[in-house]
Amino acid sequence: MNLFDPESWFWLYDIPPFRLSLLFVAVFVGFYWIGSIIVRPILRQFVKYTAGSNDIVGYVLSCFCVFYGLLLGLIAVTAYQNVAEAGANVTREAAALSALYEDVSRYPEPHAQNLRWLLRDYTRYVIKYAWPLQQRGIVPQEGAIRAAAFYDRLLEFKPSTPAEELLHGEALHQFNGFLEARQMRLYSVKSSLPASMWYVMILGAVLNIAICWLFDMRFITQLMLGGILAAYLGIMMHLIFDMNQPFRGDVSITPEPFETLYARMEDN
Amino acid sequence: MPPAAKTTRRDALRCGAAATLAAARALAPALFAGCSLGIPPRAKTVTVGLLHSQTGPLAISATSLRDIQLHAFEQINAAGGMLGRQIEVRAPDTRSQTNLFPKRALQVLDAGAVAAFGCWTSASRKAVLPIFEEAKKLLFYAVQYEGNESSPYVVYGGTVPNQQIMPTLDWLASAAGGLRKKLFLVGSDLVFPRTANFVAKKHLKAQAKELHVVGEEYLPLGDRNFSGVVRKILDAGADCVLSTVNGDSNLGLFAALAEAQVDPRKIPVVSTSIGEDELRSLLPSQVTGHYASGCYFQSLDTPANRTWIDGFRKEFGYDRVTDDPMEPGWCLVHLWKQAVEKAGSFDTAAVRQVFREGLEFAGPGGPVRLDPKTQHTSKFFRMGRIRSDRQFDIVQASPEPIVADPYPEVAFPGWSVDWTKDGVTRGAEVDIDGEV
Repeated sequence: MNLFDPESWFWLYDIPPFRLSLLFVAVFVGFYWIGSIIVRPILRQFVKYTAGSNDIVGYVLSCFCVFYGLLLGLIAVTAYQNVAEAGANVTREAAALSALYEDVSRYPEPHAQNLRWLLRDYTRYVIKYAWPLQQRGIVPQEGAIRAAAFYDRLLEFKPSTPAEELLHGEALHQFNGFLEARQMRLYSVKSSLPASMWYVMILGAVLNIAICWLFDMRFITQLMLGGILAAYLGIMMHLIFDMNQPFRGDVSITPEPFETLYARMEDN
Repeated sequence: MPPAAKTTRRDALRCGAAATLAAARALAPALFAGCSLGIPPRAKTVTVGLLHSQTGPLAISATSLRDIQLHAFEQINAAGGMLGRQIEVRAPDTRSQTNLFPKRALQVLDAGAVAAFGCWTSASRKAVLPIFEEAKKLLFYAVQYEGNESSPYVVYGGTVPNQQIMPTLDWLASAAGGLRKKLFLVGSDLVFPRTANFVAKKHLKAQAKELHVVGEEYLPLGDRNFSGVVRKILDAGADCVLSTVNGDSNLGLFAALAEAQVDPRKIPVVSTSIGEDELRSLLPSQVTGHYASGCYFQSLDTPANRTWIDGFRKEFGYDRVTDDPMEPGWCLVHLWKQAVEKAGSFDTAAVRQVFREGLEFAGPGGPVRLDPKTQHTSKFFRMGRIRSDRQFDIVQASPEPIVADPYPEVAFPGWSVDWTKDGVTRGAEVDIDGEV
């Protein structure tokens, strides 16, 4: 297992969200507590405890927390925006597909029927095959084949009236929009925060905890107060981790727009 | 009163360590039990390849074959898979290009496919044959073909000439077929049409019936300009046509026949490569009254067939149809499943060993038996007349399934195959393009 390879950590997405949250908290709190026992006595040798030493450590911690909090907040927003953008692409693709379905339904037979079932086939593939792959972080390949099959068949239609020409032009336009949205969805399967951001976040969390070890207070109080801070850091990390991959985890995009469309296609 | 013992740092450390361990012990079952028990384990899978053309001229026919086989694997997976494994299907597009089939075959085998289902034209099957033989993996081929081939690594599920072409000719020459006398052969310029027509000519010569060949024409796959061919049919005075035209070239053939106002009652065209799926793209006004021969038609009125059609349509849409290659395609998946389960392994040698016992499957078109000697399946012969609703009236059917003979004696004297013994027995070389 390569610890620096983001995909090495994908198995974490298979853990149910509440348990994953507890796991993050446990790891951070556990790290803090174990550090309190093992590392704190070593660090204490570097800080001479005087009457005002806790004030100095508190001041440094406040300053650090401002910067670190800002960083975490911005990263969380970025991760959420990634998810939201990927969700918008999925909705756009389903909407373009729906419009295309309506357009080709107005073609003369047998073109209309043949084109309709090719679009239905594409939608079915996205729901049944592409989505499970995306949830495993794999870019699905075979949807492109179905899109190409539809395009080939669409180009076989030769409009014979001005109305058909307009309709065909609109269908081709919709098809381009659909292709664009589809490509955006595929790009977002692999989109995630860069590894450097994770390094900064994790290092920041470790430093945050290390500063807490410098406080001079009763040991139990130290465990309690530092533990609360570590637990919150764990929760924040879990949130960002969950939003890191748009199609994985609890905060992920579902195939609902395609499912709704497919149900309507079947009704027709 | 003695002074209260002061808590030392050592005591605090002990307490801390004890508390940490206690917390870890208390939380561990909740956290890590979730990792092992709460997560649905990712199912073990085994890969299977589908080699079908989903774009290009053959897509009109081959896409439905892909769908029915996907449907079969989805049903198998829903019922728990095979030998405790889910089937993961790889279905790359072979784009109706013969030279792409070997690349795609290698692609699916490299992905770990234990077997593959697919190919449409004989050229595509012949192109991948050495790959499967070298990899010692099985290819299941569902389309009707010309015979004159046997491989221990191919299971042939479609009809061969003695199950389709020969009974078709017999029917045309019979009273039921209108006692036809002048036959015109038209086909795509592919291995199957040329070999099938060679067998047809040999069969007619051996039968010494009045029906004889008055012309023979081939056009490249995908070519739709059949006006010249139709003119030749009319000039030759043909009273029936045997068509081995493949894919969407059929659009051109029937358009040209309609344009020349060929009456199907006077000059019926019997197609060997047209099914309900191809009819969806053909205009009923151009094809109604013509014929197709095969082993299966959707209009077959049996409970098994109705159930099968309903299952497929429920999954893929109520405007979808089932046709000849789809039925063998379905049966082949289930024959393979039977063999794997009997063998208790996906290993090719073990599966082939089970073939020797002979397998049977109750298909939608009737019972199918895999002949251990030839690795071909027994088939019913059926003749269908095209209706205006893009379906067929079955006008003739064999009383029993016909056992496949990949080397009919009349065309390939001295040739035979028996995979339970010595494999292929070779006779004299046969030139299918030579004089009959």
